[in-house]
Amino acid sequence: MGSLIEFLDISLAYDGTVVVGDLSLKINHGERWAFIGKNGTGKSSIIKAVAGILKPIHGQINLSGKSVSDYHSRERARWLAYMPQQSSPVIPYTVKDYVMLGRHAHQGVWALAQPSDYAEVIKAMEICDIIHLQNRLVTTLSGGELQRVLLAGAVVQDAKILLLDEPTTFLDPSHERYFYKALERLYIEKQLTVLMVTHDLNSAIEYSTHICALESGKLFFSGTKEIFVEACPGILNQTFSVDFQTYHSITAHANIYRANS
Amino acid sequence: MFAKSKKTFLVVFLLLILSISSIIICPWLGLKILNPFDVLKHDDLFYVFTMIRIPRTLAAFFAGGGLAIAGMVYQAIFRNSLADPYTLGVSSGASLGAALCIVFGLGGAVAGMSFVSLGAFTGAIIAIAFIYALAWSGEHNSHTLLLAGVIVATVCSGLIMFLHLIGGLHRSFQILRWIMGGVDGISFSILYFMLIPVILYIGMTWLFLPILDHFLTGDHVAHSRGIAVNKYRLYFIISTALAVGAIVSVCGPIGFVGVLAPHTCRMLITGIRHRTLALCSFLLGGSFLVITDTLARSVVPPAEIPVGIITALVGGPFFLLVLYRRKKHLML
Repeated sequence: MGSLIEFLDISLAYDGTVVVGDLSLKINHGERWAFIGKNGTGKSSIIKAVAGILKPIHGQINLSGKSVSDYHSRERARWLAYMPQQSSPVIPYTVKDYVMLGRHAHQGVWALAQPSDYAEVIKAMEICDIIHLQNRLVTTLSGGELQRVLLAGAVVQDAKILLLDEPTTFLDPSHERYFYKALERLYIEKQLTVLMVTHDLNSAIEYSTHICALESGKLFFSGTKEIFVEACPGILNQTFSVDFQTYHSITAHANIYRANS
Repeated sequence: MFAKSKKTFLVVFLLLILSISSIIICPWLGLKILNPFDVLKHDDLFYVFTMIRIPRTLAAFFAGGGLAIAGMVYQAIFRNSLADPYTLGVSSGASLGAALCIVFGLGGAVAGMSFVSLGAFTGAIIAIAFIYALAWSGEHNSHTLLLAGVIVATVCSGLIMFLHLIGGLHRSFQILRWIMGGVDGISFSILYFMLIPVILYIGMTWLFLPILDHFLTGDHVAHSRGIAVNKYRLYFIISTALAVGAIVSVCGPIGFVGVLAPHTCRMLITGIRHRTLALCSFLLGGSFLVITDTLARSVVPPAEIPVGIITALVGGPFFLLVLYRRKKHLML
């Protein structure tokens, strides 16, 4: 059986400026990939390219053996759910109505919600701990609350692959923890494949199965997190051009990496 | 969606009552207040009522409703609360087309439609094509399109001023009068030129109203949820331009209805979605124009004020209120 997502020698560019060059990578069903690297190395661009938002100037991305660009928009939405880095909704919709928009790909042309859609919305709101916010307007939410609403919007899409662009940026430590627990629950319940851009290296190592490190738009490392951890902190030093220190957490039974000031 | 509030039903019901009453009552009002007995007794009053007042009221209702929906659509696809047929340059293009016909003395008609109206319709279509050509870069960036619209509107205004200058006093006044907009003098035969495209537009837009909800989440999120963003944006821009072109060619550029109606409805019902918003905006925009047109022909007898002046006087301060709210809440 072939890979779920295949990057075939892709290059990505904005207005002629290449941000990712000659990237080839294979991602299998059920894997959880964390994309790490310095700002501007093309991590978010890769996620956008998988989502079909950014078209490669060279090469192609295959999804289950077929180019992402060949998918019909609704069919693609049943495969891929994307949570953007930051979204500023201008709509004063209630949280539950906003999450319901994520069901579009499962609804008919009239976009009439079925009982199953309501059930999925409630479930997604529970997973993301926003059930108490359901009647609030999205324009009145804090950054962290909005991020959980955006995640619920992606979860409710019931796609096989979740694309997350810096999903924990605005979350406080407790909700960050809650977020990763929710993701774990999704892996178990729905056997999701996850591609996540993050700057939170320790969480990336803890919750991912694979790591992809980028440097100046080029693939620097890709492989399982076990191999990655073995190469730490040297690999982090090279990826981020700064020295990392390793601390051992006795309670977490894991190494913690921090950049030296 | 989830259970609709009683307030939503109440607002829709009240707007329905307002619309029906304005359509029923307003044709009787004006310079001369008519009563059913006189209308049935006197042929001339019967003619005034059936051939002048009724088509005028229907024109005002459908023009107002159509412009309100056009404004709502533009605000959604550009994610900008101040977008309307004016800001996108469609109305300015129509005005330039009409002004050119007036200055060059094209006074005839084709199939009951004056050259000035045809010029206005053509101007609206050319303006939108021009905006698209200016903003085209493989992707349809909404900000670029909006900016291109503002540029086209400014250039059209400059050209209209030039036509004022070279047109002479009489033609300059004709242009000015046309730009003020109005639904006076619209017969049934002219009404159909507007009515058919507007009804088709409303019907076709109705099918895709849930798509507009997604536009407000941003292009990337909408795309990931299975919306063909560029395809739908192109569809909405072209269909709206055609409908606005049809309205403006018959009524002239009547401003502010496209901003005023959708925003009032948003203020009345918090969290309103586009299916309900379109219905409310159509009813409010339609009845607003019927009522302002009745005021236009009643307040300073025997003269008639062009309805565009009244909508501008009401709409201008409202526009400022929207700007203030937008600054305060950063939302539609």
